[in-house]
Amino acid sequence: MEDFSVIFLFLFVLFLLLGSGVWVGLALMGVAWVGMELFTTRPVGDVMLTTIWTASSSWTLTALPLFIWMGEILYRTRLSEDMFKGLSPWMAGLPGGLVHTNIVGCTVFAAVSGSSAATLTTVGKMSIPELRRRDYPENMVIGTLAGAATLGLMIPPSLTLIVYGVTINESISKLFFAGVLPGLVLAGMFMAYVAISSRLSKSWNPTPEPPLTFSQRVANSRFLIPVFLLIAVVIGSMYLGFATATEAAAFGVIGGLLLAASQGSLNWKTFTESLMGATRTSAMIALILAGAAFLSLAMGFTGLPRALADGIAQWELSRFELLMVLLVFYIILGMFLDGISSVVLTMAVVEPMVREAGIDLIWFGIFIVVVVEMAQITPPIGFNLFVLQGMTQHEMGFIARAAFPMFMIMVLMVFVLIAFPELATWLPDNIRQGPG
Amino acid sequence: MAALKGLRSVLDFIYLAAGVLAALCLVAILTLIVLQMLARWTGEVAPGIPEYAGYFMAAASFLAFANALNRGSHIRVSIILNAVPRKIARWIDVWCFAIGAAVMWYLVYYGWRFVNFSIMINDISQGQDRTPLWIPQSFMLLGAVIMAVALTDHLIHLLFDGKHRIQRDLVDQSFGE
Repeated sequence: MEDFSVIFLFLFVLFLLLGSGVWVGLALMGVAWVGMELFTTRPVGDVMLTTIWTASSSWTLTALPLFIWMGEILYRTRLSEDMFKGLSPWMAGLPGGLVHTNIVGCTVFAAVSGSSAATLTTVGKMSIPELRRRDYPENMVIGTLAGAATLGLMIPPSLTLIVYGVTINESISKLFFAGVLPGLVLAGMFMAYVAISSRLSKSWNPTPEPPLTFSQRVANSRFLIPVFLLIAVVIGSMYLGFATATEAAAFGVIGGLLLAASQGSLNWKTFTESLMGATRTSAMIALILAGAAFLSLAMGFTGLPRALADGIAQWELSRFELLMVLLVFYIILGMFLDGISSVVLTMAVVEPMVREAGIDLIWFGIFIVVVVEMAQITPPIGFNLFVLQGMTQHEMGFIARAAFPMFMIMVLMVFVLIAFPELATWLPDNIRQGPG
Repeated sequence: MAALKGLRSVLDFIYLAAGVLAALCLVAILTLIVLQMLARWTGEVAPGIPEYAGYFMAAASFLAFANALNRGSHIRVSIILNAVPRKIARWIDVWCFAIGAAVMWYLVYYGWRFVNFSIMINDISQGQDRTPLWIPQSFMLLGAVIMAVALTDHLIHLLFDGKHRIQRDLVDQSFGE
């Protein structure tokens, strides 16, 4: 490549801006500007505005704020108490006991929230003190929570999958359904790990639960019925083709408001807090997406994606080898960058490569999500670690060690996905065709 | 000093007001989508709703940028910032705000041209809504101006006061994940 030095300069600016702490969205715009100036003679500013306007005013994007809002509303309800009370009677008999409430609780909340951190706080708020009171081993409590909360990214609705879908122009509904089975399998793997290690561990000696009759258990769980109804409406309406992802999100917001109102936790304060929180989070992601749209245009001009795709073709990497390379690459990237940023930053380069290798892009979305989930619990900047640190006052190192087995389970999950790609592709192939 | 104080409260009011306006845009998106579903079920035609929702989306995002910045919601890589002594971190912050402000003012300058161009050629949406595009585009520009002002505001504070006014809240920030 004769303009190798120019590409080097381009990448240097990229690392400089991102690494020094310029806000990701603005850094991407800056880098893209440099790239355009280096590689084209087109009027950069005007192209930039057209690109950003098109990216920011897209109809598909509207699912994003609505799903965030739904999660914000439910986060401010009594859900975390209800979840623990309702789930624990059913989990008490399993090997591993109430630690399973962490995992099942996260799985359930993940189905109403697209955020891993929100899932973590909602479930952990109640389960950490309750499990501690019953003398469950601390590292199990913390580790499973950190790991299972990442299901928020995989089980629909998922902010990461919306961002991925918008970036590569794939159907959000399809991506959502691709995440369902792998999410449940991953939750099952976490639960299996808890069950096995509870049997093997010698220090496992929690206070047993008082036995409850079946009707008492049902009585304890009745508060969970509205949440399950809400999940059924949101996911069911998409699956049966009644609604697009955005419309399902609208159902979710209205359902969430009704649920909060029926619990008495909806007032002007929680309403405005949820709305403003959702506005800010969605603006944060929109800024990154705007920058990414401009960057991926600039990337096209640099010829970098094409060159890399050709390079991969030349090296004759098998599909498996390519995925292994990407796995390592994303794990390393995830140590320094948050999930959404690493998805949008790399897709311009990775997409042609992946298409070239004949990998299904819906499947690849789930692959990316698992890898991004790992990034949530790897130091130095795994978000779930930070959130847990705030909640438990443990040292980062302790939390990271406690979460490490979950990290390994996720690595295993990647291989499960590669071995059984149908896990991700079967459901989306079978949803009813709906509007839009 | 009184003038400065006045300016301070005016600016803070603008950031907040833009954030509230952005939140109202979210409510508008929700309303539009519900209307669209109602229209579909009753067999009515509601043309242009996806376009309108898109315009509100752009407005919501851009108008909330400054508010999100002030509340520390925008994501940045803070490894180096956290690792270096405070004195150096301050200069790195100056650099970040300077770059950020430069990028945003650049966007504002071309945004101004962009909107004017839309007015000049009378650019009308290709969709069924037939909206003159300069109207929704102006809200994007307005949000960009407010964001650029906010970044400059923080930069000036950082230079003269030694600290910016962002409340960094990692938990709030991590909600995007």
